[in-house]
Amino acid sequence: MKIRRYAGVTTFIVAGALALTACSGGSSGSNDEPSDAAGEATTGIVSVNGTEPQNPLTPGMTNEVGGGLAVKNIFSGLVYYDSEGASHNEMAESIESEDNQHWTITIQDGWTFSDGTPVTAESYVKAWKYTALLSNGQNQQYFFHDFAGWSDTEDSEIAVEAVDEHTFTVELIAPSADFQLWLGYSAFMPMPDVFFENPDIYSDAPVGNGPYVVDSWEHENVISLRPNPDYKGPRTPKNGGIDIVIYTDENTAYNDLLSDNLDIITNVPSSAFATFEDDLGDRAINQPAAVVQVVQVPEWREEFQGEAGKLRRQAISQAIDREQVTETVFGGTRTPATDFTSPVIDGYSDDIPGAEVLQFDAEEAKRLWDEAEAMDPLGADYTLEIASNADSDHQTWVDAVCNQVRNALDIGCEFYPYPTFDEFLNARDDASVPGIFRGGWQADWPSMSNFLGPVYGTGAGSNDAQYSNPAFDEKLKEAGQAATPDEATALYKEAQQILFEDLPGIPLWYNNATAGYAETVGNVEFGWDSDPILYEVTKSE
Amino acid sequence: MPENIDVTGARRDQPRRGQEHFVAPVDEGGLGAVDAVSTTQAPKSLWGDAWAHMRGNVLFWVAGAVIALVVVVAVAPGLFTSIGPRACDLSQSLSGPAAGHPFGFDFQGCDIYSRTVYGARASVVVGVLATAMVVVIGTIVGAIAGYFGGWFDTLLSRLTDIFFAVPLVLAAIVIMSLMSTRTSFTVALVLSLFGWPQIARITRGTVMSVKNNEFVTAARSLGMGRVGILLRHVLPNSTAPIIVYATVALGTFIVAEATLSYLGIGLPPSIVSWGGDISKAQNSIRVAPEILFYPAGGLALTVLGFIMMGDVVRDALDPKARKR
Repeated sequence: MKIRRYAGVTTFIVAGALALTACSGGSSGSNDEPSDAAGEATTGIVSVNGTEPQNPLTPGMTNEVGGGLAVKNIFSGLVYYDSEGASHNEMAESIESEDNQHWTITIQDGWTFSDGTPVTAESYVKAWKYTALLSNGQNQQYFFHDFAGWSDTEDSEIAVEAVDEHTFTVELIAPSADFQLWLGYSAFMPMPDVFFENPDIYSDAPVGNGPYVVDSWEHENVISLRPNPDYKGPRTPKNGGIDIVIYTDENTAYNDLLSDNLDIITNVPSSAFATFEDDLGDRAINQPAAVVQVVQVPEWREEFQGEAGKLRRQAISQAIDREQVTETVFGGTRTPATDFTSPVIDGYSDDIPGAEVLQFDAEEAKRLWDEAEAMDPLGADYTLEIASNADSDHQTWVDAVCNQVRNALDIGCEFYPYPTFDEFLNARDDASVPGIFRGGWQADWPSMSNFLGPVYGTGAGSNDAQYSNPAFDEKLKEAGQAATPDEATALYKEAQQILFEDLPGIPLWYNNATAGYAETVGNVEFGWDSDPILYEVTKSE
Repeated sequence: MPENIDVTGARRDQPRRGQEHFVAPVDEGGLGAVDAVSTTQAPKSLWGDAWAHMRGNVLFWVAGAVIALVVVVAVAPGLFTSIGPRACDLSQSLSGPAAGHPFGFDFQGCDIYSRTVYGARASVVVGVLATAMVVVIGTIVGAIAGYFGGWFDTLLSRLTDIFFAVPLVLAAIVIMSLMSTRTSFTVALVLSLFGWPQIARITRGTVMSVKNNEFVTAARSLGMGRVGILLRHVLPNSTAPIIVYATVALGTFIVAEATLSYLGIGLPPSIVSWGGDISKAQNSIRVAPEILFYPAGGLALTVLGFIMMGDVVRDALDPKARKR
């Protein structure tokens, strides 16, 4: 959500703007009660750096970091995410379905908005329909793309209907076992009636139902959040409030953090990359985020087709020393990839069968390439092109990868630059890229399906390599119909096994979140989306 | 007061009283021997004179040595290093000098010495190619304009002016960014496309002054054709300033190539070039500034060599501008 999204276009992350802890994964099931986090309730006001929100603080409009941090603390949805990316019921009583496609959602009784009006099924239905309607121009419209009736070309209502005061139904375009994992995302928050009558108040004094309320909002200066006395969900604030302090310069924020004038920094400035782990010690956060970078292998290139093609893909993958590149080129702000998703996603594991193809082994790589050459020779003067846009700094890592490929496989390897990102996207769309190309994916919500279907499913919007494998599609379909999210996760792992055999994309590394906090605060954890979990933070006065 | 009246008030062009002659008669002054044509000595030519002058100039030998070295390195880089310029090992990133690697390693772990050696070729090839093309285009345009005059001159001179008004590097940036394939040849071609006006102007001026000489009139009165006179008599006597300018221009074309490669629109990364390496070294300037020094040093030395040589040649060929 940090990046403006275009429907059907793979999202690329440029900044190392993501922050995250929790790199272990695969522990808790999705609806367990959260383990009781350490730390007693305190009364200090926690300050965190932010940027001036671009839009009024509504869930439907806010898709950038500045407003996002506030929105996720002043609204409560059906579920919320813990630091491991698992979801737990917040307002939901139950989220049920017979077929994983038609869902019935029951919400708890007794919740109110901060203006005193009750939160009902209608609050959800109206808010979602409003955001999903094209002509309302909501930034988060895209996130309803799997709802029946959604369209990004014309106005059409999504299939969400209220049954009674506490129950509503949703129809999806296809079965999705992990539907409830989506619902903690801020696009799926309820809205009070006052929003539809007088949306202007959201530029000043937003009305929400979350653990915090906006106490005061001095534009360009500070957004003060205080605990909501009427909040009755599980995210009970353990501090006396949050001040989101607006900085125009990350360096200033970082210096304030070092001098204890700021408690939490969500994004370390690049000038401090080299030093922040020394500066902050164990208060530095540098762990994978929900962003995976890959090189996609185009199906339209003959050298990557058939058995020889598979061998070549493996050879290229094993020729890349990910450890070395992330350490040297990125200064440790990337983490070598071990799967097609991300370590912060619930259910992640680094030992999916076939994942050893991501291990660097120059000799094996050369052997695989030679084997492919014996089947279908390309000749010694073959040059592998690695394409990317050149308007941000990709040349350095492409050069490094190319050097490794050249050394290991004894073939040519060159950076193939497109001057702008737009030209690069167009070339990917019309399949004119002359070699393998950079691709990256940032998760919409913490589910494995979100990393697989949109990128590798046959005909999917971001499947720029034009990969198509019926066995993989079948596995995704099965997983979508699975009875429980856990079962679905197991099936998604099996789907990844197929990907490891076919390598439609070669996973490279995960973007890291780089953040930190001062000695003044305790119990700081970062969620799957790289934002700090603020209600848990403790600070004594 | 009339100018030609001296302090004595007498007019200078009038003999002073009591003075019979201004100058002694030829046979009395002893100057006859000096003025006599030597029949035993080889005749002096412009080139012979220039060579004699250059030989005695230390700068000539210094510049000559630099250019010779650069050319040998460009032709046979394998003589100087056995390590490939693209054999890089990321684990050596930014390591200092080691045995066999006198300059250390760059960010990508490539041997800097090897890259500096191999970078010479791109510079020399682009410089020489561009200069050759510029000389050909410029001389043809300048000679036609200067020799035939009339509307040829008007047309070609205006054309020259138009190209002259476009800054070389700026135009090259625009054209190069449109090129889909980039090689040493395309870079040289683009540079010469906008580099020829200067040489055309110089040629035109020289041709115009040479064509009024007596030997041209003589050739014409003997019935020689206009084109023949231009090729046989006028052009050979106009080459000196062209050579001087070309030598200096070679240096500037090398700089222009490095500029383009530095901006990432000159030579592609598959061709090792000093400009490209300077650009890459810039990324690690805070951690390892010395990396920048080697490609920049190679570039500076080469350009200095050619510009010094141009200076020496100009001194030798143009006695009027000779430093005393």
